[in-house]
Amino acid sequence: MVNEKIKISTRNLNVYYGVKQALFDINLDLFEKKVTALIGPSGCGKSTFIRCLNRMNDVIDICKVEGSIKVDGEEINGKEIDVNVVRERIGMVFQKPNPFPKSIYDNIAYGPRIHGLANNQDDLDRIVENSLKKAALWEEVKDRLNQPGTGLSGGQQQRLCIARAISINPEVILMDEPCSALDPIATAKIEELIDELKKSYTIVIVTHSMSQAARVSQNTGFFHLGKLLEFNLTEKIFKNPDNKMTQDYITGRFG
Amino acid sequence: MNKTSEVALTLSDDIDQVHKGNFPRDIPEDRRRFSDFQLKIYDEQIAQKKIISEFNWPFLFNADSREPEIAGVGASLMGSFFTLIVCLLLSFPLGILAAIYLEEFAPKNKITEIIEVNVNNLAAVPSIVFGLLGLGVFLNYFYLPRSTPLVGGLVLALMTLPRIIIPCRAALKAVPPSIREGALALGASKVQTVMHNVVPLAMPGTLSGTIIGLSQALGETAPLLLIGMVAFINVVPSTPFDPSAVLPVQVYLWSESAERGFVEKTSATIIILIFFLAFMNSFAIYLRNKFEKRWS
Repeated sequence: MVNEKIKISTRNLNVYYGVKQALFDINLDLFEKKVTALIGPSGCGKSTFIRCLNRMNDVIDICKVEGSIKVDGEEINGKEIDVNVVRERIGMVFQKPNPFPKSIYDNIAYGPRIHGLANNQDDLDRIVENSLKKAALWEEVKDRLNQPGTGLSGGQQQRLCIARAISINPEVILMDEPCSALDPIATAKIEELIDELKKSYTIVIVTHSMSQAARVSQNTGFFHLGKLLEFNLTEKIFKNPDNKMTQDYITGRFG
Repeated sequence: MNKTSEVALTLSDDIDQVHKGNFPRDIPEDRRRFSDFQLKIYDEQIAQKKIISEFNWPFLFNADSREPEIAGVGASLMGSFFTLIVCLLLSFPLGILAAIYLEEFAPKNKITEIIEVNVNNLAAVPSIVFGLLGLGVFLNYFYLPRSTPLVGGLVLALMTLPRIIIPCRAALKAVPPSIREGALALGASKVQTVMHNVVPLAMPGTLSGTIIGLSQALGETAPLLLIGMVAFINVVPSTPFDPSAVLPVQVYLWSESAERGFVEKTSATIIILIFFLAFMNSFAIYLRNKFEKRWS
């Protein structure tokens, strides 16, 4: 962990929903081009935490985020920061696949279009093709790009959403339980994909599956009741955790 | 000159009714609306097969008249058309923009709350109150031309606005939050998210709400009586600034007339009105089915 570059670091991050505090003083460093898994029982604040990283909590009126979030040493938490630029750099994939009710092509082309990433139609075609290839979906959909994205299977839809997220070439991809709505085969495909994607992107994944965290991640953080109890190399967390609670959760004694 | 040519004339209203068997001919002459002399001529014409019945096309194109045999709905059809156009052009864009603002952008505070309550209340205000407002504001304050589709359309637009805003807001609310999150997470601004992804999904519901609102406006009578659209107008209007009647008001006018012939005209007008309403409502259903897209 010593020689790795820190991509995102949070310091004293506190989040409140109205008067209820959801996160307490989170200090966490995410390393570049690594997969970081966040585990913990439901309602412990994992999702709240990753939604802070691309300012998605701004959408919730009563949500207040305090503290420092730095991406490449640059503060992104603050009223004066342009959230759209933050979200352009830090993409997100949600728990339930949420393709737009448009064609497969338009689903991918939407991001590049609004950010003006393509100079012409050929450019756009290339971006769409590359994004779908990176998301391992190209072979399955190349003949039906004009059909609605909502007509794909659940696993394909989720890969479409991943392709959509990488279409604008973000630096970080946040994944909020990306496999919880998928069957084991689709899950295996997404996990393979994550392995492939970490070569180019920093990935943060929230998951309820211990085995998934163990399989795909290099670092793991354990959240409990809004606090980060332990953060370490995945191997260390799963084999020999420092914290008793972590041990209990991983071995299934509570959760 | 000095030429013989054939002309077709309409039967006078009373003889028309005799022809249709609505007036009995065996009561004494002084208690009938037609004389023995008229009857004699009628019988002669019948004997020569000079009296024929045919479809009354002029009814669709003529303006109103005191004589039922030549009165038509042409003027009120044009009047209704202009009124609805004015109403649509005003209420549709205003209604949709208001709904989008209230649902997506308005800060949640006391003022917004008051506006929301008022919009909902406006939908329940009796339509004649809008007529009074039109009379007081558009006619007596702004001096807009009386009895015209322009003023009629303005009044109906006020009435239709809440009926567009409410279904449009409901349609916007029904768009799943996951779609908004998907767009926002791609770095789309709030306006881009709403305009590109939310509004298109809300369109079917909004369009059918608009058409239902417009068909209500088409059948509206009370507010138009107060702004003078009840006047007797015997020319077909050519612009929204000409005095005119509308279909439901025409029904109201004719149903009050003494001549027996207007009974049939009233029924015919009602059939035309109902045909238009049925057509508009089917169109609303068609639009909803056409644009409705399933999403998970």
